[in-house]
Amino acid sequence: MTTSESRRTLLGTLASTALVAACGRLDQTAPASALLDLTDRFTLRMQRLLLAQRPLVRELSIADISAHFPTNGTVAPKGDLYRKLVENDFRDWRLRIDGLVEQPLALSPAQIRALPSRTQITMHNCDEGWSAIGQWTGVQLARLLDICRPKMNARYVVFHCLDTQEADGNPYYESIDMLDAVHPQTILAYDMNGSTLPIGHGAPLRLRVELQIGYKNAKYVDRIELVDRLSTIGKGRGGWWEDFERAPWYAGQ
Amino acid sequence: MIAFTKNTDAKIAIRHPWPVRVWHWINALAVTLSLVTGLLIFNIHPRLYWGEDGHAGMPAILSLSSTDPNTKTPHFDLQVGSHHWDVTGFMGLIDNEGSDQYTLIAAPPVDFQFGATRIWHFAAAWILVSAWLIYGLYLALAGRCARVLWPTREDRTFRNLKHELKQHVLLKRARGVAAERYNLLQKFSYLVVVTLLIPMLILSGLTQSNSVTAVFPDLFALFGGRQSARSIHFIVAGALLAFILIHVFQVFVAGFFNSMRSIITGRYVTPGEKSI
Repeated sequence: MTTSESRRTLLGTLASTALVAACGRLDQTAPASALLDLTDRFTLRMQRLLLAQRPLVRELSIADISAHFPTNGTVAPKGDLYRKLVENDFRDWRLRIDGLVEQPLALSPAQIRALPSRTQITMHNCDEGWSAIGQWTGVQLARLLDICRPKMNARYVVFHCLDTQEADGNPYYESIDMLDAVHPQTILAYDMNGSTLPIGHGAPLRLRVELQIGYKNAKYVDRIELVDRLSTIGKGRGGWWEDFERAPWYAGQ
Repeated sequence: MIAFTKNTDAKIAIRHPWPVRVWHWINALAVTLSLVTGLLIFNIHPRLYWGEDGHAGMPAILSLSSTDPNTKTPHFDLQVGSHHWDVTGFMGLIDNEGSDQYTLIAAPPVDFQFGATRIWHFAAAWILVSAWLIYGLYLALAGRCARVLWPTREDRTFRNLKHELKQHVLLKRARGVAAERYNLLQKFSYLVVVTLLIPMLILSGLTQSNSVTAVFPDLFALFGGRQSARSIHFIVAGALLAFILIHVFQVFVAGFFNSMRSIITGRYVTPGEKSI
């Protein structure tokens, strides 16, 4: 079943119709909006409390890797730019790291691969409900931050992506804060299951932020920007899903 | 045979102490919100799996799908294990424009936001969990569990069970002293909800969180994997929904106005022994 198909499949109940419609309208009202924000802040606080010791998520074995790992969201970015990058095997592509850093960077795929790598087999959990297990190899974001040296006022790491969302054509982006950025399992993956990261899974580079779920793990990462606030980027909520679907910005739940 | 005479033996009893009434209505709100948002979350990926991973293409223990979404009149299939049912007419499909040309009973609104739906679900969960913890504390401190919820020796006789089953099947109202206390089936169902269903919902919900399982990875083993936990979460939610439907039905059997008054004000009019 494709994603769009499953999204359209509906289980009906008599009671829910009116309530569901009411909830949809309710989200737009100020008190409901404030309640959503309050819940999100509380859920984030509780998770930070729980994660005070900065644990690693469970890592699995090669035998656990899912035979098939679904692709979701963008599966092939549109446009000439991406097509040309693919044609040239991303040799001309550079990962830019800028914003509030002492040393802006533009790294080639070869330079990124020359850095020490981390390989982890983890479970990817989509907010839709499904899970798949994959092996990811990449460079720890903490290592890149060591090289670019964030300024003292840098609080968030924003990932600008090469793809636009099919729904509205807005560019995909995501963000995490410094605490998750320096987590040992937060890597920028260039290999998946032992081979080069496929286009469907975000070539040339995909964020793996294992403490958080699916949509935070941005694919097609093109540029990393360090900022002191998220309000000036996109619609200000810290990511495409956060901006347009009101998804929680912190998504460890 | 049944005569509706003036009930002279009726008396007013205080049936529900205020913490129980407050807990009931907080739950009513939180559980309704949980079930509606939970259903919308299920709609996004209406497939249940067993084990660690599970996604489209993998065998499901339960799934809902349309057999041919491209036709004007698609058929809907509910699969449970190796069984299939045609559920066209009960479960439906809308097209991308939100058109209602197909049979459907419930659909997300046009401005439906999936992210917000999940936050509503968590909001309800926080309320449910907090209320459950406080209620558990109250049960223990007030000695209410032993006094009111735990079946007595008399409850636990075969004769009583037979009597109660008969009363339930015939939809007969309890009268006299029997109406002032919970009956065996009531006690059993309340205990199952409070000590089994709600804790299982909380734990299976938490097992779906990356944060929680990073700290407590043993939760995966407890449920036999993340996808098993998700499936159990939905199955137990279904059991809770079944309880609620029966519970509401019993409110009508027991007398709607009297029951509602007792769960709002605490005052309950006990029907006399000999009124019929």
